[in-house]
Amino acid sequence: MKKKYWRCFVCNDIHYGVAPPELCPTCKVLNAYVEITAEEARKILGGGPDTAFAPVDFREAIERFAAGNEFMVNPDEEKVQTLLRGVFENEKNHGFKYCPCRLRTKDWDEDLKLVCPCNFTIHETYRGVKNGECWCGLFVRRT
Amino acid sequence: MAKLLMFHGRECPHCKKMMPVVEKLEEETGVSFEKHEVWHDEKSADLMRSYRTVIAPKCGGQLKVPTFLNAETNDVICGEVDYDKLKAWAEKK
Repeated sequence: MKKKYWRCFVCNDIHYGVAPPELCPTCKVLNAYVEITAEEARKILGGGPDTAFAPVDFREAIERFAAGNEFMVNPDEEKVQTLLRGVFENEKNHGFKYCPCRLRTKDWDEDLKLVCPCNFTIHETYRGVKNGECWCGLFVRRT
Repeated sequence: MAKLLMFHGRECPHCKKMMPVVEKLEEETGVSFEKHEVWHDEKSADLMRSYRTVIAPKCGGQLKVPTFLNAETNDVICGEVDYDKLKAWAEKK
């Protein structure tokens, strides 16, 4: 199923997916999404041609992400720091926050599966494992 | 002697943990691993990718590090393993 870009005609939220959300999560208007091109989406997401993307604190982002889930960021701070260094190095050198414990294949769809946080909940190191963790160990199951 | 390869990543904690295990094995048994860092060395990355059809099926469908590969038998281990397991693997004919 091919994913497309969608724009809320009220508040300009952008959605990338097979189908648009029924309810816009930002302005709460129903059936507000219209399909747009990738180029239009890029322009809107970039905030205009002269606007730099606002930086996101990745550490804070993953802490907030984990807070609503059955896993948490690994309490082993040294390990986390090593992994975050790798994630940022990979973003600088290879374009995305790739997992430092796997290698990209150069196949676009395959490699998107390596972007941190990845969907580790389906991986053999986590799914059904009591003290499960993602492959690299950045996220661990709460005990 | 079999050609043994180790693919690892500089910022991979599992690889960091395995490095002294590998070095101890090399010192004590005389086996030798050709070590390839794959995130900062594109040649090493390409080498690992060239073994994708051998490695991926044995590593959850992906190119994980650390991966140990016997280039002659295509025998593969991925992830952290203890000294004895790695030794038995490395000395397997």
